[in-house]
Amino acid sequence: MSSLERRYRRLLLCYPRAYRRARADEIVGTLLELAPTGRTRPTLREAVDLVCQGMRARLGRPASRSVAVWAGLTAVLCGLFAGAIGSRVGWETARPLPSEAEARALFANAVPGHQINGIQLDQGLFSVMGRELTWTDFGYLLGLDSDLHQTSAAVGFAGGNPPVEHQQTLRTAQERLRAAGWDLHPVMSLDVDGCAICPQPSPPNRFKMSATREDSILTLELNSPQPGSGYLSIHLTRATPWTVYPAGIGIGLLGFAFGWMMFGWASRRTEGRRAVQNLAAIPYALAMLVWLAIAASGLSEKITWHIKRPRPGWDPAWEWLGLPDSLLFFHFGSVCALFALALAALPRWGARPSRQGALA
Amino acid sequence: MREPTFLVLTALTDGPKHGYGIIRDVAELSDGRVKLLPGTLYAALDRLVAQGLVEHVRDDVIDGRMRRYYSLTGNGLRVLQAETARLRQLAGAAEARLRALKPRLT
Repeated sequence: MSSLERRYRRLLLCYPRAYRRARADEIVGTLLELAPTGRTRPTLREAVDLVCQGMRARLGRPASRSVAVWAGLTAVLCGLFAGAIGSRVGWETARPLPSEAEARALFANAVPGHQINGIQLDQGLFSVMGRELTWTDFGYLLGLDSDLHQTSAAVGFAGGNPPVEHQQTLRTAQERLRAAGWDLHPVMSLDVDGCAICPQPSPPNRFKMSATREDSILTLELNSPQPGSGYLSIHLTRATPWTVYPAGIGIGLLGFAFGWMMFGWASRRTEGRRAVQNLAAIPYALAMLVWLAIAASGLSEKITWHIKRPRPGWDPAWEWLGLPDSLLFFHFGSVCALFALALAALPRWGARPSRQGALA
Repeated sequence: MREPTFLVLTALTDGPKHGYGIIRDVAELSDGRVKLLPGTLYAALDRLVAQGLVEHVRDDVIDGRMRRYYSLTGNGLRVLQAETARLRQLAGAAEARLRALKPRLT
């Protein structure tokens, strides 16, 4: 067997086993006849074509043109949500937040001369009302309570009247943070809602600056002194650890493949059973609509948020998909999808079970 | 009907052909414009077989290579004739409009 033939056969692994058994020799024969003398590797076009058609063949139902479209939609949504779960797993490798004493020392160094009255330190990197999220928080996990905080922070506040002008505080903080090895981001002025690109009051009275060092992000916000609230807040959070990206992409790809295969399986199971097909289509359509709606609304909200409030780093992947705010709707979509699968799994009464043929 | 499907059915009108033969014939029929990749061709053949327009007629092994021959079914021939008539009518209508346009352009 030539190296070219071996490589073609390796690409054919994208096809289902039964299909390969029946057709591999034929397809490889044609590929070899088309290949010019001396070629040792498949072209990129051939490789992409074989991978795509192999994935299509795994869906079965070759006469249907729409099956690949629906399988694609299902696979993309499953891949996105699985990727979000994968990124959450990746976040487990992030360092915990510093202790209160460490945070106090860091803040005091960044903004000397300001009385940091209280340090709020969330328990764990992901928290509910300042404490770590556990499996006993069913209300939060089911999405019944939307007051779920995400990436937590060590936060310090200073109240009363500022001892110096805000510009002076910012200059000092920049000098001291730079000296301590932090990378500084430009100072932004904000409007009353915290928007950096909206029309600003004149003269500006609210400022925000950020700095990053290794896996830490420090944000300093200065406001006009107001009764009952501080004029200065300083946050320390953890940056996204690098493990989030391979974990998110890897588990996302697995989710994509799972969604593709499951749709293919359900599609083949319901083929020729008009009543079951129509019945399963209702919960399937509901699941896709709900998942699509929450992902689209999460995405549009996050894009607006990031444009209006630029900051170093990105929000966690699941927030871009509308989670955990829409967790309850996500669960509803999941139940609908499972119900559609359960309907597809119903046995074929009165029909002899048959194995799907390569050309069926 | 998409162009590659039309060309595959047309390639099979003069008798059974194997995959390589169909690819070459399609390229010739389209003046080299349509170059089918084997993965795409076999997916199209699977679809046409499932739709009853094409059938597998025999297998041969030539020079150690498997060759499976496909042929048009009666239904495939009728569908191709209908599609050809439709395209002829469209092409005729377009030509008539273009002829009417020509004197105005010159």
